[in-house]
Amino acid sequence: MQNRLSLYLLFSFLLLAVLVAWSMYSGVFVFEKHSFLEIFSGLINNDGSIDASERFVLMDLRLPRIVMAILIGSALSVSGTCLQGMFRNPLASPDLLGITAGASLFAAITIVLGSYIKPYIPEALHYSLLSIMAFAGALITMVMVYRISTRNGRTNVVMMLLSGVAITAIGFAVMGLLIYFAKDEELRDLTFWNLGSLAGATWTKCAILAVVIAVAYSMLINKGKALNAMMLGEHDAQHLGIPVERIKKQIVILTALMVGTTVAFAGTITFLGLIVPYILRLIFKSNYHFILPLAAVWGSVLLLTADTISRTIAPPSEIPIGVLTAFMGAPIFMIILIKNRNQM
Amino acid sequence: MLEAQNISYAHRKFSILEDIDVSVNPGELLVIVGPNGAGKSTLLSVLANEMAAADKDTIYFKKKTFKEWSNRDLAHSKAKFSQSNSADIPLSVQEVVLMGRYPYFSSVPQKADIDAAFTAMEETDVAALASRDYNSLSGGEKQRVHLARVLAQLDNEVENKLVFLDEPLNNLDVLHQHRILHTIKKFTQRGNTAVMVLHDLNLAGQFADRVMLLKKGRIVAHDVPANVFTREIISRVYNFPCTICANPLNHNPLIIFGT
Repeated sequence: MQNRLSLYLLFSFLLLAVLVAWSMYSGVFVFEKHSFLEIFSGLINNDGSIDASERFVLMDLRLPRIVMAILIGSALSVSGTCLQGMFRNPLASPDLLGITAGASLFAAITIVLGSYIKPYIPEALHYSLLSIMAFAGALITMVMVYRISTRNGRTNVVMMLLSGVAITAIGFAVMGLLIYFAKDEELRDLTFWNLGSLAGATWTKCAILAVVIAVAYSMLINKGKALNAMMLGEHDAQHLGIPVERIKKQIVILTALMVGTTVAFAGTITFLGLIVPYILRLIFKSNYHFILPLAAVWGSVLLLTADTISRTIAPPSEIPIGVLTAFMGAPIFMIILIKNRNQM
Repeated sequence: MLEAQNISYAHRKFSILEDIDVSVNPGELLVIVGPNGAGKSTLLSVLANEMAAADKDTIYFKKKTFKEWSNRDLAHSKAKFSQSNSADIPLSVQEVVLMGRYPYFSSVPQKADIDAAFTAMEETDVAALASRDYNSLSGGEKQRVHLARVLAQLDNEVENKLVFLDEPLNNLDVLHQHRILHTIKKFTQRGNTAVMVLHDLNLAGQFADRVMLLKKGRIVAHDVPANVFTREIISRVYNFPCTICANPLNHNPLIIFGT
């Protein structure tokens, strides 16, 4: 069984590597040298065979963007998978629960009111203020949705989705107000959050994301067994020696952290946390032992593909990536709804 | 083995259990019976450490409170079969039964775990369903799958294990009712303990070592079946006339209601 999982993971990583190569070569700018080796040896040796503009496109535009797509795709689909395990429902995903909306609401408030608060907080926090606020927004929403929809360990699916709708509605209202009051420059930032884009990728953001993800995965990625057991009900999982309360707290805090950071850096990229686990469930049913680690890789595969398409399909402009993921995600949302019709 | 004093439990000021003392010895099969709303399932949940009773530290399992046990050790020596089993588990039967082995392997089931799961499935007669979807099973079959899971969980070398069963015979046909009870009886005869809630008084009389009769959260009687199942006690507690005679085959008390 372990061998099977490692085999699947190996294949997924290979696929991801191929995609990275494809994505590096795709785009408006075309490299003079076409071999992988030539470009990299040129970069490392710094022997002048790669000119400055090529170096810039590769090192400061494409690579950070590819890395960020990999990190964010992975983080979002793992968050979705963990939430589905915790809520025991395939519909639980950061966007449908309103967690993304909560995070971007706080991010938007920070953008517009940021200039007023900034003098009062320490210099070191300025750069990460947005991420911290987005994290706070995500955490508050998540706790609210869980409290509203779950009683005695049983989640009412309708309540769960409706509290997500309610929070998203609040988010829209405040966002509308902010857009009305925003200055031109802030307006551009705000539109960016709403549609989601990886165009703002930098190595610093990648590094922060990588640290967040490393911390979260070290605690979450091996929880497949625990999430399986929680399908039995929380009491029965406890009888199997699973520390249910502790795992729930870890999931709430760590997914809020991941969703908050992604929203701060790339805006709202919707439905990824729904699509990836859905596809994996078609193959592995609900066995989280498989779908949790695989979601980490397939989230990257999906988002990297979507991002590469979004920046190459209509050159020289870009389609917002949130639009692409929504096109894939909304039909899947519908399919899951219809499948679960009897349980609502 | 399992000792508890003065268990009380209230839900929003509604007292469900009042001052219940329980003491179960190794090798004993204790059956809890009583009319609806007597607090049988609640008592089982409290004893199994599912809810905080008014004073939690009064429950001792092998002389230790549940807090003093490590999660893993506790899962190796105590298991519970619950009445309200989750309806929707999109996994195969074998995967559900293997959950009983989760306390034993970290990420990959070993051969011993798979063997234990299959032995348990044979025991509850679901081995033929191993690769079926759990969700496609009937109520009785699901019940047997969970029983197999509980049996697989306690398949180890630990001595004096404890199993709680909340109405394990619901939805089961006669053959499987007896099969399950024989399995549990064998389990207790190896020095383990079982605490079980049952509705069928005759089955309780036939298999139990001791019977605890509850009504409205209080113990009415707690003794060997012959002393609990008397015409006077049963007809008073269940508020229904009955006759009790000796079972012609095994001389256990046989309760016939309605006469």
